[in-house]
Amino acid sequence: MSISTPGEVGSRVSKDRPSLLNNEERAQLAARKRNGKFFLFLTVVPVILAVLLILTLFGSVLLQAVSWQVVEPRNSGQTFSLREARTWEGVVRLELLAQGRTTQDIEALLSDSEELRKFKARNRVELMFRANGEPLRWVVTNIRDDVEEVYSLIERWDRERDSLTELAEGQNYYLNPWMDFSFLLRNNSGRPTVAGLSSALVGTLWVIGLVILLSLPVGVGTAIYLEEYAPDNRFTRLLEVNLRNLAGVPSIVYGILGLYVFVRTAGFGPSVIAAACTLSLLILPVVVIAAREAIRAVPGSLREASYGLGATKWQTVSRVVLPNAATGIVTGVILAVARAIGETAPLLMVGGAGFVNKVPDSPLSNYSVIPTQIYSWINAPQKAFDNVASAGIVSLLGVLILLYVLANILRRRYEKKW
Amino acid sequence: MVVIQALPKDHETVRTATVEMEEAVVSIENFSLWYDLFQALHNVSIAFARNQVTALIGASGCGKSTLLRSVNRMNDLVPSVRVEGTVMYEHVNLYDPAIDPVEVRRRIGMVFQKPNPFPKSIYENVAFGPRLNGYRGDLDALVERSLRGAALWDEVKDILHQSGLALSGGQQQRLCIARAMATEPDVILMDEPTSALDPIATNRIEELINKIKEDYTVIIVTHNMQQAGRVSDRTAFMHLGVLVEEGPTDQIFTNPIHLMTERYITGHFG
Ligand SMILES: Nc1ncnc2c1ncn2[C@@H]1O[C@H](COP(=O)(O)OP(=O)(O)OP(=O)(O)O)[C@@H](O)[C@H]1O
Ligand SMILES: [Mg+2]
Repeated sequence: MSISTPGEVGSRVSKDRPSLLNNEERAQLAARKRNGKFFLFLTVVPVILAVLLILTLFGSVLLQAVSWQVVEPRNSGQTFSLREARTWEGVVRLELLAQGRTTQDIEALLSDSEELRKFKARNRVELMFRANGEPLRWVVTNIRDDVEEVYSLIERWDRERDSLTELAEGQNYYLNPWMDFSFLLRNNSGRPTVAGLSSALVGTLWVIGLVILLSLPVGVGTAIYLEEYAPDNRFTRLLEVNLRNLAGVPSIVYGILGLYVFVRTAGFGPSVIAAACTLSLLILPVVVIAAREAIRAVPGSLREASYGLGATKWQTVSRVVLPNAATGIVTGVILAVARAIGETAPLLMVGGAGFVNKVPDSPLSNYSVIPTQIYSWINAPQKAFDNVASAGIVSLLGVLILLYVLANILRRRYEKKW
Repeated sequence: MVVIQALPKDHETVRTATVEMEEAVVSIENFSLWYDLFQALHNVSIAFARNQVTALIGASGCGKSTLLRSVNRMNDLVPSVRVEGTVMYEHVNLYDPAIDPVEVRRRIGMVFQKPNPFPKSIYENVAFGPRLNGYRGDLDALVERSLRGAALWDEVKDILHQSGLALSGGQQQRLCIARAMATEPDVILMDEPTSALDPIATNRIEELINKIKEDYTVIIVTHNMQQAGRVSDRTAFMHLGVLVEEGPTDQIFTNPIHLMTERYITGHFG
């Protein structure tokens, strides 16, 4: 196409806008832009769909973590305003007074740690969003309280008054935030109103810690061997192909392996360490692949500099390659661990129990982890456990978000500029 | 248009004022090198005189870097490399099976084309080499001596613990020279050390080379004829893996003997 001279441009172009193009070129440009817009549209649609799906997921989980409930109380049945009591102890005092205990009695209970522990195990002290039509009130829920009815937030959001008039004598009506802070500190229970996540949360933290301890050295060692030492022969190529395939093996298969190898043969039983070993196996291929990529990303010029100064291979690997690949490796491991702690199937196989109300305190303890805990709550007969499960899911997402944030901080902090 | 005539692979190197045996620190004898099946060096023989700078020149791909890297056995890092011939250093054949390339590189240091400081502090960069061997002496003094040797001390003495990557390109290259000096080598190899630098930084490196040859033997690869003229005592011209001509730099530049050398020097090819 010939370039139009200024004269041509002036004469051919429509009156209003100055342009460097003649009409034909302008038409082509417009067509090109239309094309671009069409494909932009094609790429934006899935993004919008994905965002909508994620919002729906989060929305439904969060909504489920809050519900209206009709309760037949076994305690005093009273609720207390924030003005009446600010601290946990204050609420306990008021409740015990309302139950008709003497002040002396109450002080004795509060100062006796064993009594206090028992009280905590049987009662949940919580600030409910609404209690009997009033906002933000303390409620002490007893383990023997009967939950008569559970309504979802949406179902009854504008019918609080109707619900209140429907109540039978002595019943209370709460908007219960299942996902409250004490949820993380309470032990599990057969009663939904007082069931908590602490043993599963601690179990999950144990498993995360042990998985990192196990998979980091083994994975990094393998990666170093494959990247730096392994000869390039048929065997290593076979190993490499298998490594990639292993990353795609269904997790339940690792569960079966873990059951035979760690739970039975190694004699760990259904313990934290058996779970950690199984999950480590599960993420090892991913860790190795991530570590190899991080190692490969270390510029060759740095290796040359090291060799050029008379470093041995191991000195180069340990003083130059590994320190410079560390961030990539650690980020890769954290992301793999984040993947692993959401796993339910293999842990169900290696004994992640649904009901453990003892916090694990050694690698050989029985344990429960958040996903198996959620699974068992969802399978429980009482409807209110659905809400507990939602609170569990919110907590699991919280742990995941923490891990991702950690990975991101590490990446930002130590990002290398060559 | 000048047609480059083929050079026979068994070309006899044209030599003027050859380096005497007793002057030579490193002498390469009948050295050939293959990358897999490709022969990159053809029977090269050349001696490098003590406390002199020798420049390797030649068109791109003629094997200058390969020859340079053969001197400290950096080529061993390429898995497919095979060599024939000897590289003598202080009466020892560096390619003797009993010699560990790690030893070789402690005696013969190297500076690369692109400055490649480690992402560590300036101090740690210089201390890297000595630390590899568990240096027992006064490390601070050694670091200072090396940085002074590389004419960098005055610029960095107050920021020794800042990252070496925060320096300018020219300073980084001098840091790399200091780092190489800190292992106290005999010979320093430089592969186009200034090609990534601006003229002022280049100038400083050239001054530095002129200074350090009092203590070291330097072999430098360069594409810059003026640079070869300014810094080197002897020049070797290579073409397609063959050492065409070598001799005192003045001689090569003013009165080259081989036609191909003359054409290269005068800019008719390359
Ligand atoms: N690692 C390698 N594997 C295979 N062939 C190589 C390798 N390194 C260099 N070569 C080949 O050897 C020949 C010489 O390369 P060399 O790098 O020594 O050239 P050079 O003279 O330094 O060139 P330049 O001036 O561009 O740096 C080239 O043909 C190159 O393709
Ligand atoms: Mg080169």
